[in-house]
Amino acid sequence: MTITAPRIGAALDRVEAPLKVTGAALYPNDVSYPGLAHAAPVRATIAAGRVTAIDTAEARAAEGVIAVVTALDAPRLRRGPVTLLGISPPAPLQDDRILHYGQYVAVVVADTAEQARHAASLVAVEYAEDVPMLDIGDPRAEVEDDPWGMDVDRGDLEAGLAEADVVIDETYATPDNTNNPLGLMSTVAVWHGDGSLTVHDATQWPHGVRMSLAETFGVPESRIRVLAPYVGGGFGAGLRAWQHVILAVLAARETGRPVKLVLTRPEMFTGVGYRPESIQRIRIGATRDGRLTALAHEAIAPVALEDDNFEAVSHTSARAYACPNVMTRDRQVRLNIPCPGSMRAPTEAQGNFALESAMDELAVDLGIDPLDLRLRNFAGTDPLTGLPWSSNALRECFARGAELFGWSRRTPEPGSMRDGHWRVGYGLAGASYPPYQVPCQARASLQHDGSAFVRSAATDIGTGTYTVMTQLAAELLGLDVARVRFDLGDTDMPYSPQAGGSGLTGALGNAVRSACRQLLQAFLDVVADDPESPLRGLTLDEVEAGGGGIHRAGDPGSGEAYTAILARHDLAELSADGRSTPPTPDTTAWAGAFGARFVEVRVDADLGVIRVARVVSVIDGGRVLNAKTATSQIVGGTVGGIGQALFEETVTDEGTGRIANATFGDYLIPVNADVPDMEVVFVGGPDTATPLGTKGVGEIGLVGIAAAVANAVHHATGRRLRSLPLTLDALL
Amino acid sequence: MKTREEALSRLGASVGVEFGVNGVRRRVGVEGRVTLLDWLRDELGLTGVKKGCDQGACGACTVLVDGKRVVACLMLVAQCDGREVTTVEGVAGVGEAGAVQDAFVRHDAFQCGYCTPGQIMSAIALIGEGRAGTREEIAEFMSGNLCRCGAYPRIRDAIVDAAGGEVG
Ligand code: FES
Ligand code: FES
Repeated sequence: MTITAPRIGAALDRVEAPLKVTGAALYPNDVSYPGLAHAAPVRATIAAGRVTAIDTAEARAAEGVIAVVTALDAPRLRRGPVTLLGISPPAPLQDDRILHYGQYVAVVVADTAEQARHAASLVAVEYAEDVPMLDIGDPRAEVEDDPWGMDVDRGDLEAGLAEADVVIDETYATPDNTNNPLGLMSTVAVWHGDGSLTVHDATQWPHGVRMSLAETFGVPESRIRVLAPYVGGGFGAGLRAWQHVILAVLAARETGRPVKLVLTRPEMFTGVGYRPESIQRIRIGATRDGRLTALAHEAIAPVALEDDNFEAVSHTSARAYACPNVMTRDRQVRLNIPCPGSMRAPTEAQGNFALESAMDELAVDLGIDPLDLRLRNFAGTDPLTGLPWSSNALRECFARGAELFGWSRRTPEPGSMRDGHWRVGYGLAGASYPPYQVPCQARASLQHDGSAFVRSAATDIGTGTYTVMTQLAAELLGLDVARVRFDLGDTDMPYSPQAGGSGLTGALGNAVRSACRQLLQAFLDVVADDPESPLRGLTLDEVEAGGGGIHRAGDPGSGEAYTAILARHDLAELSADGRSTPPTPDTTAWAGAFGARFVEVRVDADLGVIRVARVVSVIDGGRVLNAKTATSQIVGGTVGGIGQALFEETVTDEGTGRIANATFGDYLIPVNADVPDMEVVFVGGPDTATPLGTKGVGEIGLVGIAAAVANAVHHATGRRLRSLPLTLDALL
Repeated sequence: MKTREEALSRLGASVGVEFGVNGVRRRVGVEGRVTLLDWLRDELGLTGVKKGCDQGACGACTVLVDGKRVVACLMLVAQCDGREVTTVEGVAGVGEAGAVQDAFVRHDAFQCGYCTPGQIMSAIALIGEGRAGTREEIAEFMSGNLCRCGAYPRIRDAIVDAAGGEVG
């Protein structure tokens, strides 16, 4: 009964790893059914106007075609509900209006995928075309101020700028970036004879998909089952029940066949969200000795005409530094574009680039080391509330990072460091990601053989959820990890929110913790009057779990095994539910994650080629549940940040709204040779805001990289690039 | 228009081919337009072979054809006559002398796992070709396999380890 396997915090290998390395893990598009039919969408080739005619004759006559449903003849479908992530996307094929390029105008169902794709190419659509609004500056576009009610005014900005010795006033730009998880978004939909529905979907939120489909198709949620045990990444693209999910379910209903719909890579650029472009003006005022007197961050970004997203780009700047006079502003412009959504580190990916670039510019103007400038303006308490942080190890991040990176070797003069024909630049950026948690539920069962089964309808999009929840439950129940199974990705399990916003580990971890505690309580209840039990009459506070059972706290010899209790009371199993709710600390400010990013770039002196040569990341991620998977999150986020910094830009054709680079050949993401080896270190301790003490680490790994790279490029070359991605043509 | 129709109808026509998949001889009649990738997945149920782009740009569908790396989305079944195709299902599994697979697990060389079968097939070929000598070499020759989760440094660690080198 001794515990040998590693538990919380330990670098346990992923529990599902054997399935992934042998190709046995079943992703939604790996699922098949007898009689499976395949659907392919037809997309609009204009960005604004109306469909005037759709000729489906040729498509219907093509071999293998079972059905064609168009925007002119589709049945009425209701729009999904407003959820905790906001409004659902509009139901597809509901009228003749075209609001963006790539909008679905028909769906074809055939016996094979090849037949469906071919027949889709035979659908002839005629349009009456309008001039689309595609530019953020289009005077016809509707502009919304403060769309999320998060704008901040603190102190007196003008007075703060007036008292400054130095003022930075610059504008930064970030382009559209497309999530591009490697797994193509896929849905397999099956209507059963009893009117119930099973959907396999590459979603980050099975319950969200279920809610949406229930509303759209008028089916009770209890008759819908959504499954997503493995998902080929998401990075935000799987947060919503996008229109293709509804098309697949509609196609299955219309044909009476199980239907699979797999988006193509080009379709992934117009149908599953993306990080929207931004234009950001930053003004910072400071005294000669580097104390901030004023900070203004004004951001503008586009959104679709009849859909919404959450992208409060400027907000976090209000809590980034100790500064008495602060203003943040967000504005949205409605355009004829596919709806932007969340992409890894939403809001901070863009906002941090502008703020941390501007801080570097200020440091240069003042002649102060960029590291010192950040430390001088460290926010020791939360600037928004004035309360002490629930935890904040940002200063330690900077100190440790500087030491590991060798920041002191940096000579401040731009262009002063060289290695042969490479110009060498050192850059850094501070990073933070705001906390997020929503209610979650979980269930824990102890089987008669003493093993445990714990579950919740969450997803593991690669973050390590399977593994860390297994470790957590093992520790809380006093079992070896090999005796615990944690399962997820099925709406027949207790409710879970989405994997997103770095909120799942906290929400789910605290729910699993609660379920395991409740389960211990259930055992104590069973033996409350049991004269044979050494645990008789004890309360939860008086016991501990360990060695496959429960014993008096501090006295492992005085207790008994789960198996003994279950056997004596004729129980095949004992189960308990747990739930978590967001923390509401009233004496501290809920902090979120922090980090310091140190980057070395090398810029070819003749060609301007920029390479990221070295990255050191020190992260305050609260309590780390698994060193291995948490490190992978930071490494992966850093790679996303390198992509944002150097490569990624979704290009929209000016006249038509067509995405001009909608393939992996044209939309560049980092490849193996673009990514250096990197050092990742965690500092800080458990966050005090929740019982579990974790902070999410899915987003923070990306935050700060683009700014640190841009700052390093400035240090290497003396050239300040304020527009992403940073490409060599800007340096020539 | 006529020629397009003709060309398309030829693509839809059945072609007879005989070849090996993971050591099993297969004689099949298949539409000329069907890719090796779709056929392996849809006909044989070898769904360890992944589709990330269908355009030859991501490497998720990497298989070995006569021992050489091939992206299965750019090869037609009709081109496979007389060849031997190996997928991730056809190489050793975890703990059965699957040194590369074991190393991927130990080094956490993946996250979502979607690119992983392709990475592993490339890694096996790379080691076999003697091109896994240095981290730089591995980085270069593994750059045809995209990983959007960003596991690249750990993929290098795993391959160095599996190839018997010192993990830096
Ligand atoms: S699916 Fe074949 S290379 Fe991407
Ligand atoms: S592990 Fe997700 S794409 Fe590589």
